[in-house]
Amino acid sequence: MTSSQQVLLSPAELSYLHSSLSLTPPIRPDGRSPTQYRPLSAETGILPGTNGSARICFADGTEAIVGVKAEVEKTKRKWDDDAVYTENSHNDDEEQQQDGRGEASNGNGNSDWVELTVEIPGYRDDDPSTVFLAQMLSEALLADGGFIKKLRINRRFHWKLYLDILLISPPLSYPLPLLSLTTHLALLATRLPRLKSEGDEDPFFDDDWAAAPYLYSRNPTTKRIAERPPVTLLVMAVGGNIIFDPSKEELAVADVALAVSIGDATTSQRSQGEDDRMDVDSGNSGGRNLKLLSIRTVDPPSRLTPPGVANAANSAYGHAQVVNTGANQKMPEARQTESEAVEGVWKPPRGGAKAIVMGALVQKVLVRGGVADEVLDALEGVDTS
Amino acid sequence: MPLDTSTYSLALLRVDGRRWNELRRIHAQIRTQAAADGSSYLEMGHTKVMCVVTGPSEPGPRRGGAGGTGGGGGVGAGGQSKDAEVVVNIVIAGFSSVDRKRRGRGDKRTLEMQSTLANTLAATLHTHLFPHSQINISLHVLSQDGSLLAALINAATLACVDAGIPMTDYVTACTAGSTSTYAANDEGADPLLDLNHQEEQELPGLTVATLGDSDKVVALVCESRVQISRLEGMLAVGVDGCKQVREILDQVIKAQGQKMILDGTVDKGTGLNDMDLD
Repeated sequence: MTSSQQVLLSPAELSYLHSSLSLTPPIRPDGRSPTQYRPLSAETGILPGTNGSARICFADGTEAIVGVKAEVEKTKRKWDDDAVYTENSHNDDEEQQQDGRGEASNGNGNSDWVELTVEIPGYRDDDPSTVFLAQMLSEALLADGGFIKKLRINRRFHWKLYLDILLISPPLSYPLPLLSLTTHLALLATRLPRLKSEGDEDPFFDDDWAAAPYLYSRNPTTKRIAERPPVTLLVMAVGGNIIFDPSKEELAVADVALAVSIGDATTSQRSQGEDDRMDVDSGNSGGRNLKLLSIRTVDPPSRLTPPGVANAANSAYGHAQVVNTGANQKMPEARQTESEAVEGVWKPPRGGAKAIVMGALVQKVLVRGGVADEVLDALEGVDTS
Repeated sequence: MPLDTSTYSLALLRVDGRRWNELRRIHAQIRTQAAADGSSYLEMGHTKVMCVVTGPSEPGPRRGGAGGTGGGGGVGAGGQSKDAEVVVNIVIAGFSSVDRKRRGRGDKRTLEMQSTLANTLAATLHTHLFPHSQINISLHVLSQDGSLLAALINAATLACVDAGIPMTDYVTACTAGSTSTYAANDEGADPLLDLNHQEEQELPGLTVATLGDSDKVVALVCESRVQISRLEGMLAVGVDGCKQVREILDQVIKAQGQKMILDGTVDKGTGLNDMDLD
């Protein structure tokens, strides 16, 4: 799958971009530092008709809206489930955030409890790139095991969550980071009606929306959110540099592009107490423990770009053709790809990513106090109440 | 749930408390998005739509063979034609209605709205000024509560104005209905202006779009059965509603224009000296 539409850049432009991004430090076309995200403005709770909604505008003008809607659905019973409702299912009635955690037997959710759709204007909804985006985003959510458990109401019923992700602007850059951040905020703002019924009764809810608890519960005193939904970051490598949140032009010269989904493991890590640094900076200032949820390689459009022709091989520059076989003359690219890399001549990356590069990319994402922390901190600053 | 229309005759108030000739609150914004050529946001009551206009630009590479696969309603032959092609693409968000209902791209009602909108705009925009080009209009429905087509037309007009595409005049749209159902066959039924979702489900209604201040109808869509004797009254009320909508949209655009001049985004033109900026 190509990650964005056709790039209209000449081999000379691509070569220029590639070499300026390969410098140390790299020079990006928009003047950002390699780890800097595009500035964004965000708001939540924009659609009163939904359980949760969010809107993010990136500074380059791309904009996305996410709406979350929930429905109560009957849980399909598995054959191996015991048909008798035991007494210990009484602890379900407190809050749906808490339940499911105590009993491992039937507390686990099912991946069809979440339905995620992505709409990009100008693309069909069954377009491979749209489906791939939706897949990447839902994969990250499902990999975060705690999320599905939150949707459980009781043994017989669960919430079905529909996430509709709309890209409002034309896709000026690969929209994955934007959509992921917007989904993150929408989920943080999502509230489900408060359950009034107890145990395995048919669910009955409080109709007071003000009493509805958040899907991601807050600490009642500090108002801080204990757990956070995952975010997916787009990282790419050019030459020896690692660049975050690439724009469309930057992605066009990427050697490797990765979509890395991370979750915040602060709470679980803290309870284990295995990290001595947590004692020093227990707040959110010193960075958080991040856990890796999923990695996907994104096929950068750079692989499909035409190669440049070096002056030395270009007959227009007075070079006498050494080999003048018919096949080579018809396909100058075919000949060019086999030649050695020439300084200043664009040569699309060939072959897969090296394991060491992939490792470095993931390492860079997960580093404490790095970009992921910065992004999560920024998102925490958005008022989601 | 059937709509209780019996109380209308008692107080002459509709279910949401409006009189027969009252519009719902219309709130509009233009230039909502920096990256787009033209953009707008429009609320008619609880119906909320966003519009983004791209173009006039060179027709992009077509995905999936001939014919705009992404946009349903394309008018004009695109790259080969002397006129610009107007491609309309409507995305109805799954969360827009009370019960989540997902509509695919191939949904017949959406396709029909796309082609109605494309035809209406192609007739009003000066497409002959932009040969071999394409005007892409993408509309997003965030919330729906009746009069969807009218809201889409109004939002598209605003976005086209923002994009600076020359057009004959504003195209403004409004719905009109009748106080009793077709089956009731009530001769004394009053016409109604600007139907909401509940009324739209039960009562006969039509969407009418007019050009500017004139009585020229550029689009008329009626999808319900209605006695012909009632049609004239409904149409008259609808056209009158369009004029009210035009006033509101005009104010929105003038306010934005003044703001842009005061901010220094655009130069004050020669003809603007008599405009009162304070």
